[in-house]
Amino acid sequence: MKNRPLLAAAAALVATLGLTACGGGGDDNAAAEESGPVTLTYTWWGSQDRADRMTKAIAAFEAAHPDIKINPSFTDYEGYWQKRSTEAAGGDLPDVMQFDISYLRQYADRGALLDLGDVDIDTSGIEESLLPSGQIDDATYGLPIGTNAFGLFYNPALLTQAGAQPPTDDMTWDEYNAWIQDVTTKSGGAVFGGGDYTGTLWIFDMYLRQQGKQAVTEEGEIGFTKAELKEWWESTAGLRSAQAVVSAERTTQLQPKSVFGAGVAASEQSWDNFLAGYLTDTGAEKLEIITPPSDTDESGLFLKASMAYSIGANTEHPEAAAELVDFMLNDPEVGKIFGTSRGVPASSKQRDAITFEGADAQIVAYEESIADELGESPAPLAIGFGTLESNFKRLGEDINYGRTSVDDAVEEWFTEAESALQQ
Amino acid sequence: MSTATSTTTATAVAAPQGRQPARARRQKGAVARSAAVHLVSIAVLVVVLYPGVWMIVSSFKPTNEIVGDASLWPSSASFDNYRTALGGIGGISAWTFAWNSLLLAVLSVVGTVLSSAVTAYAFARIEFAGKRLWFALMIGTLLLPFHVLIIPQYIVFQKLDLVNTYVPLLVGKFLAGEAFFVFLMVQFMRNLPRELDEAARIDGCGHVRIFTSIMVPLLRPAIISSSIFAFIWSWNDFLGPLLYLNDPNKYPLPLALRLFVDQTSVSDYGAMIAMSVLALLPVLLFFLLFQRFLVEGVATQGLKG
Amino acid sequence: MSTAELERQRPASPAVPAGLRRARRAETRTGYAFLAPWLIGFFVLTAGPMLASLYLAFTDYNLFRAPQWVGLENFQRLFEDKRYIQSVKITLIYVVLGTPIKLAAALAVALLLDSSRRGQSFYRSAFYAPSLIGASVSIAIVWKAMFSDGGIVDLGLTGLGFPGEGWVGNPDRTMPMMILLTTWQFGGPMVIFLAGLKQVPRELHEAAAVDGAGSLRRFWNITVPMLSPVIFFNLLLETINAFQIFASAFIISNGQGGPAGSTLFYTLYLYIRGFGDSRMGYASAMAWLLAVVIGLITLVMFRTSRSWVHYSGESK
Repeated sequence: MKNRPLLAAAAALVATLGLTACGGGGDDNAAAEESGPVTLTYTWWGSQDRADRMTKAIAAFEAAHPDIKINPSFTDYEGYWQKRSTEAAGGDLPDVMQFDISYLRQYADRGALLDLGDVDIDTSGIEESLLPSGQIDDATYGLPIGTNAFGLFYNPALLTQAGAQPPTDDMTWDEYNAWIQDVTTKSGGAVFGGGDYTGTLWIFDMYLRQQGKQAVTEEGEIGFTKAELKEWWESTAGLRSAQAVVSAERTTQLQPKSVFGAGVAASEQSWDNFLAGYLTDTGAEKLEIITPPSDTDESGLFLKASMAYSIGANTEHPEAAAELVDFMLNDPEVGKIFGTSRGVPASSKQRDAITFEGADAQIVAYEESIADELGESPAPLAIGFGTLESNFKRLGEDINYGRTSVDDAVEEWFTEAESALQQ
Repeated sequence: MSTATSTTTATAVAAPQGRQPARARRQKGAVARSAAVHLVSIAVLVVVLYPGVWMIVSSFKPTNEIVGDASLWPSSASFDNYRTALGGIGGISAWTFAWNSLLLAVLSVVGTVLSSAVTAYAFARIEFAGKRLWFALMIGTLLLPFHVLIIPQYIVFQKLDLVNTYVPLLVGKFLAGEAFFVFLMVQFMRNLPRELDEAARIDGCGHVRIFTSIMVPLLRPAIISSSIFAFIWSWNDFLGPLLYLNDPNKYPLPLALRLFVDQTSVSDYGAMIAMSVLALLPVLLFFLLFQRFLVEGVATQGLKG
Repeated sequence: MSTAELERQRPASPAVPAGLRRARRAETRTGYAFLAPWLIGFFVLTAGPMLASLYLAFTDYNLFRAPQWVGLENFQRLFEDKRYIQSVKITLIYVVLGTPIKLAAALAVALLLDSSRRGQSFYRSAFYAPSLIGASVSIAIVWKAMFSDGGIVDLGLTGLGFPGEGWVGNPDRTMPMMILLTTWQFGGPMVIFLAGLKQVPRELHEAAAVDGAGSLRRFWNITVPMLSPVIFFNLLLETINAFQIFASAFIISNGQGGPAGSTLFYTLYLYIRGFGDSRMGYASAMAWLLAVVIGLITLVMFRTSRSWVHYSGESK
């Protein structure tokens, strides 16, 4: 990847021989013949806000590459993977896609993604330690767009209104729960301390990492016991029954906003790049972000490739697709357009071009502040991780609705997880 | 049979009453009853039309007044929601979606009417071995849940590389896949006097001639109601496009609406509802123009079932 | 090519039976020619896929690897799958409650309209309109907005002294919301009832009325039996339709069947399993179970209909 001319030649050769077309039907993807305007399909998930930024970024790309036309599309996160799954089966994936590392392995193993080492993309600006999150067996299937880390958000204005103290960055989980209860009580239920966070697999994963474990091991096995999951889901039972956390009904009603985004809860643990979205959703002037609770010396935090760029193996224009990815990854203008809305830009070429202000500066500062506490970035997640995550959320919600007992939910999650990981 | 018995029981139970006053009472009663019927009908009408009226009014309201405000009348009506809706999604204009919907609907109508009429003619007017069996199977597909077929059909179209084209959505229409329409036309043809085609046969006309020059003109009412239904069903279809179309440039309106719902948060109910109104507009227009055909079509369909 | 032509061509007298046979054969050929499009469609798009999905129901298939035969495993898993059980439960509740409520509304309004001819066609058309658009995405969106927290329905109920937190997020209220949506579309069966009512001879009612039979009595003893074929038709069609509810549930729950699985209708779960999780074998097993259940219900309806459906032909 670093030796560009040689690799480009090799890529052209590979492409002409049709070797990259693992999933496709052997179409003539002769990159060498790319004369005349080329149309690329480009897809992502996200909000209208992302679409607006993306439209600007695409316009910039098209201006710089008049020979390439972009055909963009986007959906919500769940619908996104339903579509990709059927497209991949038909060898019909879009040329360039925004990818989540939860799904990377699943698609790469099926030969649906192009090895980005075979095409010409400048990755020199990306932190070495971050690249493995897009690599499987020495091949690169995804290049990180940005980084994010978990944090505990809180809304100072709401806390003032409730007459409660802000949370601190040295709380244990019990202390955090007690704090949630305190906020809700003090405000007389007008403001909640938080939502029931135990339905988020990533938060559970962080909790496990604090104890030297992780939710799913590198070998693709579940890294915790039924008893541990039961204990986790029961840890907020008191808050649920005391109605100290936002009710499940209310949470559903507020979607697609989160309870924190809707200004109903005063705190939430989430990825730090959510800050910009939270600011828009709440309309608050200032939101704070601190390290989440921990019972040990470990923070359990790590830098995650928030999302990655991938190219479909079936693309007819690998070179043009690579140009698009390269542009989106490295172009300073694009960096300015997105800010930190997709995480702190992974490439220093974008990062260095931006003078971070406001929310962006806050996120960069947060990530710098936790730099010493970070663990290893995870490799692409096990196949089926996406399913594990959505089942975790669904069952957490069922518990919240009182539709299932914790014991039953634990059993169901493990049964589903075993069949999902088998696939 | 049972009515006869009930009449006799009724006679037995009937209390003797004077004829004259009864009739006068009945006349006065009729007026009162008619008024009562209208009152209740209007009440039902209000309930039935309410969602529609609410939808149209809301589409002119600012978003924050749609949810959380009970007043029917907007404090200030504006076309802002429509402007947002027509602005499209992700750079694709709302007209593209409308055009896609229209294209699909028109082709569906053509395919459905042609293939259903031909098929119905075979069932209604030609005597051939195995007809009863095929007819029974055709009726059977009327009762078959569509979902049994979606997976294997999807696999077939996927293997043929036809996913993300309109072919999977249309091919069934050209092969008389919608038994409802075949059935509707068979019923209609069976009611046409046989003398007409028998006369034509004596004149030496073959089935093709009889079909094209006698049946088709006579079938007009059935063709019109089938066309309208085929149009509206295609226009409203959600599952088919959801399964087969990936490229938003090919999306018909219902899928575009879904995309819109995903992308705009609850806070933009206004634009969502405005777009819903736009998506329903052609259907409502058709309804206003052809309501008699539609309603009669449904009525005959049911009675002969 | 028609029989008439052939008949003219064939030599006169003795060969009549042979000629007739030939004519019949020609007629059959023409018949199949006319039937060809439907036949192709039937085999390629209906019968073939049905057999294919029957096979797939016994396999593990994710569109990538070739189907692997797993015997009855899919079916066994289905009965252990809590979400599947939930989807069956939800769908049955919807069918068993929604269909009769909708039909009762349809019949009641049809009776109402039948009792006075004035303005009938106007009301009939107006009431029919929701059936045309009820299953559309647009209406699902409107329904969601109307029934959301602070939506018009909530505000109305609060005004009447029943405050709530909205219907969309409350698993106990999503079902009534869905049933209201289907009931709102009572116009379809109503139109058919109305047409049926017109065929009930007025004289029967008048005679009974003269004899002093009350309207309730006349309804049970005249209207219901005379209308029974139409009731049967509506019941059958609406039941089958109710099993297949998809678009509205999909939109209202954002494709997830939530909250807490309360809108996880059978077809939605089938879609999630088949197209979301790429478990085509599993979803095919679901599809076949649905087809078998609908088939059985249809059969039972036809069987029992003999005791309560009176066709006018029979009684004469």
